This record gives sequence, structure tokens and C-alpha cells, in this order.
Amino acid sequence: MAYFELENISFSYDESAEGGETKKVIDGVSLEIEKGSFVCVLGHNGSGKSTLAKILNLVLTPTSGRLVIGGKEVSGPEISEDEIFDIRRRIGMVFQNPDNQLVTTIVEEDVAFGPENLGVDPEEIRQRVDSALQTVGMSEYAKHSTHQLSGGQKQRVAIAGVLAMQPECIIFDESTAMLDPIGRRDIMSTIEYLNREREITVIHITHNMDEAVRADRIIVINDGKIYLDGTAKEVFSSVEKLRRVGLDVPQVTDLFYDLSPYLDLPSGVIDIEEGAAVLADRLKNGKA
Amino acid sequence: MGKLEIRDVSYIYGKDTPFEKLALDRVNAEFCDNCITGLIGHTGCGKSTLVQLLNGLLVPTQGKVFLDGQDINAKSVNRRELRFRVGLVFQYPEYQLFEETVQADIAFGPKNMGLDSEETARRVLSALHFVGLDETLLTVSPFDLSGGQKRRVAIAGVMAMQPEVLILDEPAAGLDPIGREEILGGIKSYQRARNSSVIIVSHSMEDMARYSDNIVVMSHGTVTAQGTCRDIFSNHELLTDAGLSIPQVTAFLAALRKNGIDVSKDIFTVDDAVKEIRSYMLRERNRA
Repeated sequence: MAYFELENISFSYDESAEGGETKKVIDGVSLEIEKGSFVCVLGHNGSGKSTLAKILNLVLTPTSGRLVIGGKEVSGPEISEDEIFDIRRRIGMVFQNPDNQLVTTIVEEDVAFGPENLGVDPEEIRQRVDSALQTVGMSEYAKHSTHQLSGGQKQRVAIAGVLAMQPECIIFDESTAMLDPIGRRDIMSTIEYLNREREITVIHITHNMDEAVRADRIIVINDGKIYLDGTAKEVFSSVEKLRRVGLDVPQVTDLFYDLSPYLDLPSGVIDIEEGAAVLADRLKNGKA
Repeated sequence: MGKLEIRDVSYIYGKDTPFEKLALDRVNAEFCDNCITGLIGHTGCGKSTLVQLLNGLLVPTQGKVFLDGQDINAKSVNRRELRFRVGLVFQYPEYQLFEETVQADIAFGPKNMGLDSEETARRVLSALHFVGLDETLLTVSPFDLSGGQKRRVAIAGVMAMQPEVLILDEPAAGLDPIGREEILGGIKSYQRARNSSVIIVSHSMEDMARYSDNIVVMSHGTVTAQGTCRDIFSNHELLTDAGLSIPQVTAFLAALRKNGIDVSKDIFTVDDAVKEIRSYMLRERNRA
């Protein structure tokens, strides 16, 4: 079942600013995102991917087009403010900078901030906070002060804050970009856990190709339009198309592409072990 | 002898308070002259503390920092001049822009050094060129630029001071692949053109393998290794112990060796891997 249905969605920022023509940041995008799926969105800076993310949780209202979330049309003028707030609760967002999204000084207070604002019963808040912190592996830091955490730990607290709102979907807007390899690894395994075990729909925006290969589906945005859409294998088979819009492919995929004039190799190889076995086989059997 | 050297340096935050924290523990390191040193390490390993010691923003609790063999914390050293000689670009420098135009922002440093307007203008242009920005932007307000452009203006502002040592903390963090390449490539051509020393702090092993000459590895407040890219990146254990990863293509060649293909361990970029595999094919053909 589709969780998000976008039909010909377009978006432009303030039209009065430039006077003349306005550039469409999102230009006629139609797509469906399945409930419970793990989707990666790739695109260079300025491609429109963050704008798309903000449209998906109604922070931005599309200029035109039809948007259906969880079976309910939300793009029409008749949608009420309460309904908008409800959707923002159901679709959580985690941003790039770990320092910009924690609001209190103590970890558990920060996680409680969302449900408190929803007017949730204090006893239930307690339960939600404990369970959210446990899910992201930060229970032992519940009473710690937020500013002494590492970047990866702060991001996990931010995720716990979203989880305490009991979302159906979480959008990660370059949430790993500022983290070191360990922080990235922790966040990626948290994301995968939420998707697989808790059945939360995940939309992960990233520049990191090694993260993208872990998603069920990759959507590449360019100039506000969908440029490529498919599984990691399918998308990374298009090395040239990706390079043309300023995107990289994983180094293994790149290596296979560069070797393809000399050896008969499959395209879209993304896994190291699989790739090494294939290449070793070709080299040994001399199929040049 | 290196351009910058630190000998037996320890640094304690909040010394003699209940919050005392040992950030650097008797660290020894050397940063080469006329080359690029990559400073790598997990979050919280002390990299940022170390770079602040290198230009005298922090004074070591113990030990000494030498620039061209001279103790930078000696009473006879003019601190102001020291900072003109060792330029530091912080992480996310785009938040530090403040002037009305790009020209004025980049010129701020050289002007403060007391350079005349002609020389200042010359340096502004040359710095602008290295970071790959167009001259037409000089009259624009820096606040009207995109995030990536702002970052470049901030880097140009320090380059324009033409410091003997240029230190950049995560200059490419959060940028897309083309943005990374342009910024790091610009830094490299600046270094080659000026024959100065550059230190880049980074989390990306792939980037450091491509752009730096030497590597200093930090872990838990100490320097665990230093050497050429080859020395460091061929030592997989060392990197894993430091909480870091090896470049994906290096891991791939290791997997290839496991599959019985005798290729070099010392390959850190895709281009070199292509060459190595082609030369392997030639070697095999000649043998046959």
C-alpha cells in the first residue's frame, strides 16, 4: 500500500522575490512510496531533495499537484490546521546538524519535549521516553546533559525525540552528513532497525553512496525532477548518468565501470565481496 | 624537521575544576613543510583541540608547539603575527561571514594585516580563483549566496592572508561529490601554487587518500600513527583500531587478494586500482 502518493507536485519559493519568472524547485513530480519501505533520496546540493522532504511532512505546501498521505488527500484547501499537525506528528524529521535540534539541557527532557507538547499523559510520556531511548541505545544517558554528547549520540537523541511522538514515517535529511564513520554506522543501524523491526517508513536523504546501497529503493532528484528511480543495483548501473548530474557511485561500482572496456563485467555491482568474487573469476578465466 | 611540530603536548579542559577533562595526552606529531597533511580520527579524539593549539588559540597545559623550530608560546612571539602565519578555517565557516559584500569579507584578513589596497585586491582575486568562485560575485552580499558558495568565501578569506600554514577543519563536510572535489581540488592547487603547508581535518578516508601527502592518525587523545598515505592506508588494523575505515577500493582489493588474485595492498584510489588490475592482467598474459 502506498503511504505517500504524489501526483504532478510542483513547488516554487516566494514568487514576488525575483519579480519575473520563478524557478520551480520541484517540477511536476509524481511518485508513490510504499508503507514500510526504506527509500534513499540522492541529488546534488540544490537539486530540490530537501524541499521534497519538507513537502512530504507538510512543512511546505506544494504550489500545485495532488498529495495523498496514508490514503488521505492533504493538498486541498479544505485540510484543517489540526489535520496538518497530526500529519507532522506522524511523519517525523531528523535534520543534519546535531546541535540545531536538541532543545533542552537533559537528554530525557529533550525526548519528552514532543509528547509533552502533544498533551500526552505524564505516565505515558515516561514510558514513551524510556522506550524511545532504549530503541536508540541511549538509556544510560537519560540523565546526562545534551551538550556533552558526541554528534552521533545527539542524533540518536533527536531520533528518540521523534520516536516518542510515535511516528509512522521518519525523514532523515542528511542526518549522517556531520558524523564520523562510527556515528554514521550507529545511525544507519538505528535507521535499519526502525525500518525492519518497527516497520516505520524511512526516507533517507544522503550524499553517501555506501548508505544509499542499503535502501530498498533509490530515487535520484535532479533539477526538481525525478532523474532515476529503482533498486540500488539498477540506479548504480547508470554510472554515466549519475556522473552527469554530479553524483558519485560507490568506489567498487566505479572501478567495475572503469574496467569494463578491458573485461566483460556486470554493471551495477555494489557489494565488495560479490564484486571481488566476480572479478577474480574473470581474471582467472581470462575472459578479456 | 617539520614546519609545525608538537612535542609532548597535553591539554586539559577545565583544569582544577570538577569538569577537568584530558583532551590530549602527551602528543607528538610533525606536520611537513610544502605538503598537505591529513589529520584523521574519530569524533572526540582531540583533532579540533589539536588544531587550536597549532595557531595558539589554546595554550598547551604541558609540552611545546614549534613553528619553524620556534616555540610559538614563548613570550617573545607576537601572537597576532603568529595567527597571520598559521591560518585556521573552522568547521562550517559559512556561519562566520559578516561583511556587506564578498569582496569586503575576503579582504578583511589581508586589510587587518596592514596590506595596502592594491595588494589586498590582488590577493582577494587570487583567493577567489582558488576556491572556484566567479568575479561577478565580488559585489554580492555573502548572505545571498548558497551554502556551498558561502563556505568558499570563508575559505578564500583565510587563503587571502597567505598564511605559511593553512589549517582547515572538515572543509568538505556536508557537500555533494562535485562540491567536495571543487573545494579540496582548490585547496590542493592553492598549496601547490604557494608551496605552503596545509593541514586538513577530515572523516573521509577516500578524500584524504586522494588529496593528502601525509597522514596523522589520532585516537582517544593521542597520535597513534603518522606517515605517508601509503604507510597509513595499507595498515588496516591501525585504522580499524582508531575507529576509522579504509577506503572502499582498498577493502575491495583486499577481498580480491582473498580470492587468489595477487594485487598490491597499497592502492587507495579508483584510478590506481584500475591501473593495478590492468597491470595484473598484463603480468598474467606475459606469464602464460
